[in-house]
Amino acid sequence: MDDPKPKPKAARKPSAAPPKPKAPKAPRKPRPKRPAASAEADTRSEALLEELEHRLDAIIGDHKLEPAVAPPPTPPPPTPPPPPDSTTVFDTARDMLTSDFYLRRWGRLAMRSRSEEVDDFGYDPTYDKRIKPFFDFLYERYFRVECRGISNVPRHGRCMLVANHSGTIPFDGPMLKTAVKREQPSVGRDVRWLAEDFVFHFPFLGSFESRIGAVRACQENAERLLRQEALVAVFPEGTKGIGKLFRDRYKLQRFGRGGFIRLALRTQTPIVPVAIVGAEETNPMLFRVESFSKLLGVPYVPVTPTFPLLGPLGLMPAPTKWKIVFGEPLDLGDYGPESENDEMLVSRLAETVRQSIQGLLDAAVRERKSVLFG
Amino acid sequence: MADDKSPRSAPPAGGPLVQAPGAATRRRAQRRVVALTGASSFVGQNLLGLLEEDEHIERVVVVDVKPPPGAGKKTRFYEVDLTQPTAEARLSELFAAEGASCLVHLAFYNSPSHASAYAHELESVGTMHLLVAARQARVQKLVMSSLTLLYGAHPSNPNFLGEHQPLRATRREPFFRDKIEAEAEAARFGERSDGAVVTVLRTAPIVGPTVKSFLTRYLSRRVVPTMMGFDPLLQFVHEVDAIAAFKLAVDRDVPGTFNIVGDGVLPLSTVIKLAGRVALPIPHPIAQPLGSLGWLAQLLPAPPTFVPYLRFLCVADGVRARDIMGFRPAYTTREALVDFVSAQRLRDVKLLEEA
Repeated sequence: MDDPKPKPKAARKPSAAPPKPKAPKAPRKPRPKRPAASAEADTRSEALLEELEHRLDAIIGDHKLEPAVAPPPTPPPPTPPPPPDSTTVFDTARDMLTSDFYLRRWGRLAMRSRSEEVDDFGYDPTYDKRIKPFFDFLYERYFRVECRGISNVPRHGRCMLVANHSGTIPFDGPMLKTAVKREQPSVGRDVRWLAEDFVFHFPFLGSFESRIGAVRACQENAERLLRQEALVAVFPEGTKGIGKLFRDRYKLQRFGRGGFIRLALRTQTPIVPVAIVGAEETNPMLFRVESFSKLLGVPYVPVTPTFPLLGPLGLMPAPTKWKIVFGEPLDLGDYGPESENDEMLVSRLAETVRQSIQGLLDAAVRERKSVLFG
Repeated sequence: MADDKSPRSAPPAGGPLVQAPGAATRRRAQRRVVALTGASSFVGQNLLGLLEEDEHIERVVVVDVKPPPGAGKKTRFYEVDLTQPTAEARLSELFAAEGASCLVHLAFYNSPSHASAYAHELESVGTMHLLVAARQARVQKLVMSSLTLLYGAHPSNPNFLGEHQPLRATRREPFFRDKIEAEAEAARFGERSDGAVVTVLRTAPIVGPTVKSFLTRYLSRRVVPTMMGFDPLLQFVHEVDAIAAFKLAVDRDVPGTFNIVGDGVLPLSTVIKLAGRVALPIPHPIAQPLGSLGWLAQLLPAPPTFVPYLRFLCVADGVRARDIMGFRPAYTTREALVDFVSAQRLRDVKLLEEA
């Protein structure tokens, strides 16, 4: 079987072989030893055997032929499918008639803006890159963000940015992320901000937010992020923060139950207070309607000067001038991880952080001359 | 594709995937007798092969209503119907006579069934019968299969659910309710029989080239229904890893509940694209009635109670299985999916016959 040369010959022979015996082949060797009992029967069976052998050779030869003949570049030209390199307009046309073509196109188009792998929390780098120009535009042109004290954000290691939360449609998370990314271009850290639960109830909003880096706010998620040495932004005011009325702007609401302090103590994470000024005027909320909030799955329905009046367009943020101020980091390393159970300490630290953010906010608001022009 | 992993072996080989953690190991010197239910299920069938090959195991006692496919020399088959009230006495006699030291309970549906009454008898009541018998026969070890789906998909779930989280899957769905009840039975078994080792393995949805379940049927459709505007992260475990985890649980005495999951997560949209399918987004308010109709007409592989899994997260944390059990999955979620897809593509063009 090693030599494929004789096989093609055998293959070309007619399947009905002549009864004349050829040169004896290996499998037929033992036969002559036996004395011929009846010569006629013997020749007939011999012929039959030969024919079978030939047929077998032909079958094997056919199979052997393919790999043996394939390497030389002389494929039989009359085969119906032409070589793949010479695609004509007809091939394309024929290809376009198959449903596979459209499925392939669809798949390619759809995967274009997605990475094949996301991180634990669904952050998608490719998608983020595609959406980045939009946030850059908001940062640079629309809100004209001015960033101060970026050196207070550590360049590596876990850290918690604690900021005031505002804006009926909160843009502060993405803007904080853009700020850190742009102002520390050599480091390029990704801020992961913790978003309220109700975001993830919503169609589109939840999947969009998690693709660009939001994470549902809960202790387990935050702890996992910090243990991965991430830069985590938290808004302890939570829903109360984004639901602030216009008259309450820049007045920090209650800081939850101090969960972020307990988390920082447990994971030994430094805290950087952050004040975001300007965001609280993007959608000045005059009233909150809470009566059909249950129906819509939102914490409240905002009433702004533009919102129900102009429809969804009314939710567009006003182009206020923003300022993001990073305060001095607060190191909790002096307290051990077990001090998270010390409730007095937790509430005292929470109040300290709240005060420092309020201080940053007040200072920045005081020196501002105009809401729209800074 | 990460090539730095431990060598990947053909399906029935869990050996090289696991490393000895040392502390939690208490290998028994003498050859053991393992009792097995659900030997015809996917995991059961493969586990049976692994147990047959293991020289530390003297005999595998299979309790089922039909002879297991591919049973070898070590296997001894007893025809017992767990749903019958007489099963208890018969099983306890049988376990005592065979001297079974370990019971592996895999007699669960891996897909929701239309015959929910029988499923209830088998999964919930059958587990009760089985475990009462095992307690009477003083079986010292129980390994039971469960699902991470039982945590339920809720918008308030943390991204990674630990084993301590409550099982919040909807009790309206018999598929979940029966399994939650079975887990409660296992916990009761652990409390009442002192010193018994109870290991419950909650597997993420199993995918792979040969496994069949509601999930593989869902991903085999050309057009896959999804929920408009929702793109939950999904998590799978490869069939080889799942089988290896059960073998590991039989070999080592590790009491507790463990999530058996592959590393990493994938958004549903990416899963569908990798599978080469077309997503059909349906607004979620009409998913319930449409789903009921589709399920009743047997057009859909799962009832509408599975709709939350297309909207919200239900991803489990496998860190406990890694640290305590020493389970290291060889395939990530993505690799497991790709392995399933490569076989499924052949099935699509009828090049791969159904096994």
